[in-house]
Amino acid sequence: MVLDDLGSSLRGTLDKLRGKSRISEEDVDEIVKEIQRSLLQADVDVSLVMELSDSIEERALEEEPPGGTSARDHVLRIVYEELVDLVGESTEIPLENQTILLAGLQGSGKTTTAAKMAWWFSKKGLRPAVIQTDTFRPGAYDQAKQMTERAEVAFYGDPDEDDPVKIARDGLEATEDADVHIVDTAGRHALEDDLINEIEDIESAVEPDRSLLVLDAAIGQGAKDQAREFDDSIGIDGVAITKLDGTAKGGGALTAVDETGSTIAFLGSGETVQDIERFEPDSFISRLLGM
Amino acid sequence: VIDEEDLDGPLRELELALLESDVEMSVAEEILDQIRDDLVGEERKFTESTGALVEDALRDALLSVIDVNGFDFEEAIAESEKPVTVVFTGVNGVGKTTTIAKLAKRLEDQGYSVVLANGDTYRAGANEQLQEHADNLGVKLISHEQGGDPTAVVYDAVEYAEANDIDVVLGDTAGRLHTSSDLMTQLEKLDRVVDPDYTVFVDEAVAGQDAVNRAREFDDAAAIDGTILTMADADSQGGAAISVSHVTGKPILFLGTGQGYDDIQKFDPEALVDDLLED
Ligand SMILES: Nc1nc2c(ncn2[C@@H]2O[C@H](COP(=O)(O)OP(=O)(O)OP(=O)(O)O)[C@@H](O)[C@H]2O)c(=O)[nH]1
Ligand SMILES: Nc1nc2c(ncn2[C@@H]2O[C@H](COP(=O)(O)OP(=O)(O)OP(=O)(O)O)[C@@H](O)[C@H]2O)c(=O)[nH]1
Ligand SMILES: [K+]
Ligand SMILES: [Mg+2]
Ligand SMILES: [Mg+2]
Repeated sequence: MVLDDLGSSLRGTLDKLRGKSRISEEDVDEIVKEIQRSLLQADVDVSLVMELSDSIEERALEEEPPGGTSARDHVLRIVYEELVDLVGESTEIPLENQTILLAGLQGSGKTTTAAKMAWWFSKKGLRPAVIQTDTFRPGAYDQAKQMTERAEVAFYGDPDEDDPVKIARDGLEATEDADVHIVDTAGRHALEDDLINEIEDIESAVEPDRSLLVLDAAIGQGAKDQAREFDDSIGIDGVAITKLDGTAKGGGALTAVDETGSTIAFLGSGETVQDIERFEPDSFISRLLGM
Repeated sequence: VIDEEDLDGPLRELELALLESDVEMSVAEEILDQIRDDLVGEERKFTESTGALVEDALRDALLSVIDVNGFDFEEAIAESEKPVTVVFTGVNGVGKTTTIAKLAKRLEDQGYSVVLANGDTYRAGANEQLQEHADNLGVKLISHEQGGDPTAVVYDAVEYAEANDIDVVLGDTAGRLHTSSDLMTQLEKLDRVVDPDYTVFVDEAVAGQDAVNRAREFDDAAAIDGTILTMADADSQGGAAISVSHVTGKPILFLGTGQGYDDIQKFDPEALVDDLLED
């Protein structure tokens, strides 16, 4: 799960502060190093880690702990606040009619996430439809079709059409009855100008209420540039992290929300349509810090 | 003479640079330790700055990790008794299937005959995906129904190759995370029963710190002879090549550089190190 090592390593370090009422510079230094290590091992962007740890360090040294607060609780509070600041709320996903566009790198999990989200909306009592606009990847149509059958939700695709924009338009019309339209797109990355133009065209045609960046939990430092490019081209409102059932920590998602000014929407942790949950920042950070 | 303290600053900077390039942390630390050992106590020529010395040492250290000899994919294909069976493994969505299609074309272009085996009997659309590649390339695909036994599929393909005088069997497998013990056991079984001539691990160049975990687990389940890194066209920093080579001790064979059939290049260790050292 996202950053779950930060909790244990940080708790270990913070526990050394137990019983102390004042923190020395050395204590702060050690804690900050531990935080840096955990964040870097979770694939959070290096410069973002430095910013975060600088501000934790500065505050821990400068701010007076409120009366009666132990040094440990004081530092913990600061770390908590800084993380809350970074992570923000969960992306708002109202339970009403809407169109959602999914975007992301090749193989990040978009098609699977489209079916999962559709399943999630249907459990909330809405009627979702998935529209597959990937005309490039062999088998993309069949994959989405089969996944939506498993999710028992409506599906539109056209294996004989090679214009994704047309499929998107036709798909919205054909699934008019649905409350929630989830538009899947082919994989692409920041340097593929043609494909970036293509998704801009899809975005213009679809006019989504929100666009989500689907990000593999294992993505490394490239997350920053990728997120920036997707945000510049279509505007990113939220991030869906996938493959959290592995050992990757998903820190790229923190980079991405920082870079795009967005938030985390969904967490994916398996290959079946049920393996999805909404991101819950409070429980996430509390669990992270063992509070 | 260089002492440890002279190195502290440059090495700390270096560690961050390696992390920025996606070299895994413990691997980066080992590389730094090696550089420290190499340099401490060295006589410094007065023209050389500590920074330049560190950079030279880093180049050597990085090359020693990734420039591992022993297995050249194309030589291996040429020299092995036919049919030669190669199985591709890796986590979900890293480009295994696409890489197999690229290699099928490359080998056919080199005059070999190829049969594909779809050992991915799990994922939705997997058969259709590989079938479309096979059709595009005009090669035979052996596949079974979804839910079938992957070992049986690859086994069938090997029999087909023997009966039809085919040179190379390229066996796909379903993506799986190394934390799924059922699927890792299935992979072990496939490796044991099919006993492929070579196992190629596929990962993506954009992977971060987790690259070491999965390389280690996949190597444990079905010993890796070499690695292919895809998505090298996404402007990745290349650190994953260092991490994976370090863990497996096996060479990086090719880089995937796009979604087209010809977007595959032989891996060049020197070029990667140049890239890494550039910024
Ligand atoms: N274990 C696990 N696998 C996942 C998860 N999400 C997706 N996958 C798998 O990751 C692989 C890629 O998923 P896709 O949904 O095809 O990814 P995509 O982004 O649509 O890929 P392209 O359309 O080629 O860009 C498939 O094997 C999926 O089953 C997850 O949360 N956990
Ligand atoms: N840009 C780029 N995309 C690639 C490369 N290699 C593969 N892809 C794309 O990555 C996506 C996933 O590729 P697949 O071959 O389906 O990956 P896989 O590992 O077989 O996936 P699963 O079978 O679901 O585990 C597809 O959209 C491919 O076109 C590459 O080198 N560069
Ligand atoms: K991927
Ligand atoms: Mg897809
Ligand atoms: Mg595949």
